[in-house]
Amino acid sequence: MEELREKIKQYRLKFDEAIKNVKTPQELQELRVQFLGRKRGYLTKLIESLRDLSPQQRPLIGKEINELKNYITARLEETAQSMTAVAKRLPGIDITLPGKTLPLGAPHPIIKFQEEIENIFYQMGFSIEDGPEIETDYYNFEALNFPPHHPARDDWDTIYVEGRDDLLLRTHTSPVQIRAMEKKKPPIRIIIPGRVFRKETPDPTHLPMFFQVEGLVVDVGITFAHLKGTLESFLRRLFSERIKIRFRPSFFPFTEPSAEVDISCTVCHGEDSDCRVCRGSGWIEILGAGMVDPQVLKNVNIDPEKYSGFAFGMGIDRTAMFIYQITDMRSFYENDLRFLRQFLKQ
Amino acid sequence: MRISLEWLKDFIELNISPEELIRVLNSIGLVVDEFSWEEGDLVLEIETYANRPDTLGHLGIARELAAVLGQSLKEQQWPLAEISEKTEEVVDVQVFVEELCPRYCGLVVRGVKVGPSPEWLQRRLRAVGLKTINNVVDVTNYVLYATAQPIHAFDLDKLAGRKIIVRQAKKDESFRTLDGTDLQLSPEMMVIADEQKPVALAGIIGGENSAVTEETQDVFIECAYFDPISVRMTAKKLGLQTDASYRFERGADISFPPRGALMVASLLSQFGGKATRGLIDIYPHPRKKKTLILRHHRVHELLGVEVPSEKIESIFQALQFGVETTQPGCWKILVPYHRVDIEREADLIEEVARFFGYDQIPSAFPPLKQLEPPLSPLRKTIQRMRYLLFHYGFNEVLNFSFMSEEDNDCFAQARKPVRLRNPVSSRSALMRTTLLPGLISNVAYNLNRGAEGVHLFEWGKIYFWKNDVTQERLSLGLVSTGWRETKHWSSLREKSDFFWLKGAVEDLFSLLRYEPVNFVQKEHPWCENGLSLIVSYKGEPLGFLGLLREEIGRKYELKQDVWVAEFDIGYLISKQPRAFHFQPVVKFPAVIRDASFLVEAGLPYQQVRSFLESREIPWLEKFELYDRFTGASIPQGKVSLSFRFVFRHPERTLEAEEVDNLMERIIRSLKSEFGFQLREGGKIDK
Ligand SMILES: [Zn+2]
Repeated sequence: MEELREKIKQYRLKFDEAIKNVKTPQELQELRVQFLGRKRGYLTKLIESLRDLSPQQRPLIGKEINELKNYITARLEETAQSMTAVAKRLPGIDITLPGKTLPLGAPHPIIKFQEEIENIFYQMGFSIEDGPEIETDYYNFEALNFPPHHPARDDWDTIYVEGRDDLLLRTHTSPVQIRAMEKKKPPIRIIIPGRVFRKETPDPTHLPMFFQVEGLVVDVGITFAHLKGTLESFLRRLFSERIKIRFRPSFFPFTEPSAEVDISCTVCHGEDSDCRVCRGSGWIEILGAGMVDPQVLKNVNIDPEKYSGFAFGMGIDRTAMFIYQITDMRSFYENDLRFLRQFLKQ
Repeated sequence: MRISLEWLKDFIELNISPEELIRVLNSIGLVVDEFSWEEGDLVLEIETYANRPDTLGHLGIARELAAVLGQSLKEQQWPLAEISEKTEEVVDVQVFVEELCPRYCGLVVRGVKVGPSPEWLQRRLRAVGLKTINNVVDVTNYVLYATAQPIHAFDLDKLAGRKIIVRQAKKDESFRTLDGTDLQLSPEMMVIADEQKPVALAGIIGGENSAVTEETQDVFIECAYFDPISVRMTAKKLGLQTDASYRFERGADISFPPRGALMVASLLSQFGGKATRGLIDIYPHPRKKKTLILRHHRVHELLGVEVPSEKIESIFQALQFGVETTQPGCWKILVPYHRVDIEREADLIEEVARFFGYDQIPSAFPPLKQLEPPLSPLRKTIQRMRYLLFHYGFNEVLNFSFMSEEDNDCFAQARKPVRLRNPVSSRSALMRTTLLPGLISNVAYNLNRGAEGVHLFEWGKIYFWKNDVTQERLSLGLVSTGWRETKHWSSLREKSDFFWLKGAVEDLFSLLRYEPVNFVQKEHPWCENGLSLIVSYKGEPLGFLGLLREEIGRKYELKQDVWVAEFDIGYLISKQPRAFHFQPVVKFPAVIRDASFLVEAGLPYQQVRSFLESREIPWLEKFELYDRFTGASIPQGKVSLSFRFVFRHPERTLEAEEVDNLMERIIRSLKSEFGFQLREGGKIDK
């Protein structure tokens, strides 16, 4: 019995020695036959010699032989695997050849940019609202303090629904302000991104449909200073901490006082009098804003003596054009893959 | 609005540089869009607002500048050459519609020598972009651009009966404008008429029949205030817009007509004109100035800054408002007639803000008193959906919400489309009822530009009528054609096909946890026969996927197979998806059994799948169809389907025998339900 034990030990040493020198799959196969071959393999012989042992001894040695068999099988398998791996790296293949890439789809730049805007406001505690795109005259104009025959309506060229005088394609996202205030009492802190429509013949800077984001904050004690603070921090996050921001008086029927917000030209920094982007003024008009007109608050049964608020609106397409220096707004809706797929990297 | 610096200087002393002038104007909201030097004069293009008709003349701009610069306006003299004749003896003015014409002033100037304007006048008109006509017409235009007050001059001799009647138009009355356009009038329109006929469309345009010409000797000058809504409605209805209507519809200065008439008469005296004595001024109900209350604390409450009382008072004084302290912290403000925009306290506070300076207001962040609701499930689901589709190689596109009648014919459906009354073009005459026309046009566009494979998705609203109410539904459209990837040197590549699109769709709904989504083979009018699946979720139809019908593709100039799909994701997302639960990873090994069957070739796989899913076989973790073939070794009319069944018990290792029994159950049930014949696999040979 001890003799057999010694043999087992010797075979193991012999195998360890032999496997170190194996270089090719063929040599590996020879080694397998030498040890595990059914007829003349060393292990087969060992098993045969079990017959000479007593019935009590057989299982003990049998177990040891089995262990050796498992060991050898595992080492052979391991070596075979590393050999195929090595084979793949065999000399002759130029590993500087291009790798395989996945054909990942690209997001649309407008939607991606809208998402960035939403994220900034989301972090400032705003929630996001939606509303219908086919609107009534009441929500689109009247509730926003555009009386039926007011010339201010001329600034919002409107597309109407056939067969219904009261229905139109919303010209701004502002009607959702009214819908939100009807639905919910202050405090209100929302933004409304979405499609808007104007009767404009397409050209590089005008389209019959584009995207806008509107904002509304209504609460006790909201002031013009809050409007400035909120928009300044939004614009600095969207553009850069270094931009200059200017508020100047303007007019919108639904805000009073109203403001237009300009940022310093990030292309020429106000130093090029022929700058194509700011036309030499050094400033880019980016937002319209103002304190919610008291009449608008009254229209939704919010007491303007108790509550005040501010609202703002920004063209998403126009701002994206400025940020990426895209000169033709129509390129957003041509959906040319050579244009769109660049935004995979953005 | 074009403003000449030289002209402005008639009204105000200006000793600031052009740059400073532009900066100051911007700071009070009079934005200079453009400026240019013309004939040595600085001409500014100023953006004006619908509520500020007072800024539609040089005087108005000068008023604003005087207020911001702390100056006063120059006094102007308008000397008259007069004759003894009384105006009312020369012409009889009657106003029949006082509510539409609350004030009407008139004056006659006799002996005017009509001819070309002098150089100074022509130069002024050139500066604001007007053509010169003759000295009389030029003078009226000059006063309009100087003061924003529209004026009209009639040839006195052409006024039948020397009468001026302000009245409503008669039914079927017609009228030819001085630029030769014939108009059909209706009774809601206001006209200026003589004894017989209309001679002007009130506040909009004069008539050819009473126009001042080279032969004119005596002129009747009209300077009035017409109702803004009446002027606007008439102008809109007739499709006219003139310098006069533009100003009247925004609201003129009702205190101004006498002064305007005198200015014109004075200027005409340069051409030999002599004014009749006594201005006709029909103003039966003089209007009072608006009186408003301004509370000091409201200024602070709205602007967020303390503006001193003295500052507030000086702002209103500079703007020619009356200011009276009624009690501490409270003013009574009298609004000058030219400020038609000021009607409420908020409007006064805007004036304070404008002249205090928007840049003097501090910046603060509004206190966050409550947290707004978290991101809606809709937005979250759409975000996940987009990223899953990007991984499948679909590019996101955006198309206009419109479609054409041709699109509607190609993609006809039961839904009634929303048509537009005044579309931008015939290509956008309707609101889209499906996303596919846009997506398919995008495919054609890209293929024409050399793309080898085009895989696109769009999500957005579609629109239609339902019982006279417009509906807007969020839809998801997918299109796919051509190569799925760029060719790699080491391998072959694949083209997009039906099962690739279906796999993407299956994965999409499954990963969004909308399961099970059912696919039923059914014809779809937009797809080739036999190549479309109707997709439903919990029995509700969601949409379809299939191969676009070739004749539709051809209409969009497509010559290759395009796989398309569209789903009502608005409906889907309105439903609660299956909740997400983490499942601990089971440590016990799986037992795997493969089995191949001979099956009737016509049997839809979906039926087999639904059947197996409904069996609830214990410990069957999943099953997969891993092979399907026909051929010489398979009898006619049959196919071979190979399944892999994976069994796993959560708490112990399954015994081989248990699994064999389960497999036997599966095989038996497939045999009895569908007549499956076992080819190989399993451990049972029956
Ligand atoms: Zn610039």
